[in-house]
Amino acid sequence: MASQAVECRGLSRRFGNRLAVSDLDFTVPSGSVFGFLGPNGAGKTTTVRMMVGMLRPSAGEVRVLGLDPISEGDAVRSRCGVMLDNVGLYDRLSAIQNLEFAARIAPMDPRVRRDRVEAALHRVDLWDRRDDHVSGFSKGMRQKLGLARALIADPDLLILDEPTAGLDPASIVMVRELLVSLAAESGRTIFICTHLLAEAQKMCDQVAIIQAGRLVAVGDPNNLGQTGVNTVRMTLSGLVPEKVPGLALPPSVELECLGGGEWRAAITAPEGIEPLVAALVHAHVGVRAVVPEQVSLEEEYLRLVGGEGNA
Amino acid sequence: MRDLGTMLWKEVTELFGNRRFLRVFAIAVLAFGILPTLSTAHHGASPQAAALVGLLRSVFVLFAVMVIVAQTAPDLVLHERVGHTLEYLLTTRLPEWAIFGAKVLTASAVGYVTALLSMGVQLVVVGILSGQGLHWLFLATPGGRIIVLGLSAGLALYTSVVGTFVALRVGDQRGAYLVTMLAVGILIVPFLLGWLHVSLTTAWLGRAAEVFGAFVLVVAFIGLRLFRRHMLVLYLQE
Repeated sequence: MASQAVECRGLSRRFGNRLAVSDLDFTVPSGSVFGFLGPNGAGKTTTVRMMVGMLRPSAGEVRVLGLDPISEGDAVRSRCGVMLDNVGLYDRLSAIQNLEFAARIAPMDPRVRRDRVEAALHRVDLWDRRDDHVSGFSKGMRQKLGLARALIADPDLLILDEPTAGLDPASIVMVRELLVSLAAESGRTIFICTHLLAEAQKMCDQVAIIQAGRLVAVGDPNNLGQTGVNTVRMTLSGLVPEKVPGLALPPSVELECLGGGEWRAAITAPEGIEPLVAALVHAHVGVRAVVPEQVSLEEEYLRLVGGEGNA
Repeated sequence: MRDLGTMLWKEVTELFGNRRFLRVFAIAVLAFGILPTLSTAHHGASPQAAALVGLLRSVFVLFAVMVIVAQTAPDLVLHERVGHTLEYLLTTRLPEWAIFGAKVLTASAVGYVTALLSMGVQLVVVGILSGQGLHWLFLATPGGRIIVLGLSAGLALYTSVVGTFVALRVGDQRGAYLVTMLAVGILIVPFLLGWLHVSLTTAWLGRAAEVFGAFVLVVAFIGLRLFRRHMLVLYLQE
């Protein structure tokens, strides 16, 4: 198996005069859970379509599982399970027939097919509704069935567009745990486009944020906002704002008073917090608490996409 | 061929799960089986008149094929467009020829079965009304068989191919139906303009069936070339 499940190099796609995706560069390591975030119309779906060979790139290239989705499209698609934002289930078929169709596409032995379909329906709690036509299913049930369908052929790469959209909180947790366990147990790569930033932060090993077709950030969702600046929140006593006799702050520190004895320090020095604490103690300032401040994925996302709201 | 079989399984399962389709199918069979028989029942007195009326009723069978396939073929595509399942199919390993080949074959089969069942109903009705059978239906001659069995199959296939690909570009049922009917109607233009002359000889009809079959294959090939995966996605986005 390729060490990178997905590799995009200068990937671009133009529709007439509009550049939907511009010069994307990112890699998705095999076995990881990768979150692809961005506002509506940012180019997420176009990127997914290029990944599975539904669209030709205007420039650059994408390789999926080491293969070219255009010239080796059948091989790519046979190793990918895809669930699009519009799940696309057959309303005139029952739940079990929808999954059987997907299993037939795979293709697989009839006995294996039966077992897989049954296991998939149990996994998403839809076994009791297996013979019901999908037209009567709720949004959440459709999402779960779509997820089961994407998993039916045991794909190496699972591409999910909004897998938790429309699900109730309990189902969201169920889907999240299912995805994490899938990634952990079998080394399967999961590529998720999602609007739920908190979910992405919990689920994903890496995230990429795309805005107006351009990649604006890639990295660990817990450290995406870290730009070499460590921010700490401190509770101090005996420190007067603006002027403290005897306090010589290191040049790499900026101190901001938040009121009520609370201070925020932004530190750019590689040695971190220690010089600041030493300077405070030397100036006889009481250091009661020092808590590192983490920028949440949501805060960082809103900063990067300019607060457009929806991912 | 396995992919084609998979798609055919899905299409047939869906059709049998579609009560509206089953109702329309039953009504079409009965309508095209009973109505033309009743409306022309009194013209079968002389042998010449019987042959002419038999031919006319065979044309009714072709008409039945045209109407039912022009409805069914676009519907098989449009419900996939509306339900976003066509996009799902494009994410799978199924090749385009299997996806559309199954739709074309399913719609053609529906049309052809409609034709055969309509003829069966006509035979029963005629048997009840006048005691006549195959002669009355124009089926006793090779020419008659070519028309009602061969040309109806060709027409079903042609209407199905056109209807399938038209529905990929025309997003609504009525529009797709009208364009499909227009494409079928175009077939008689060379005859109306006098470029071709109809003959009811077996040789002419056999040749016509061959040429028509080749024409349908060319149209299907062009359709598949035009509706490649990466083009389809663009059409679906429009």
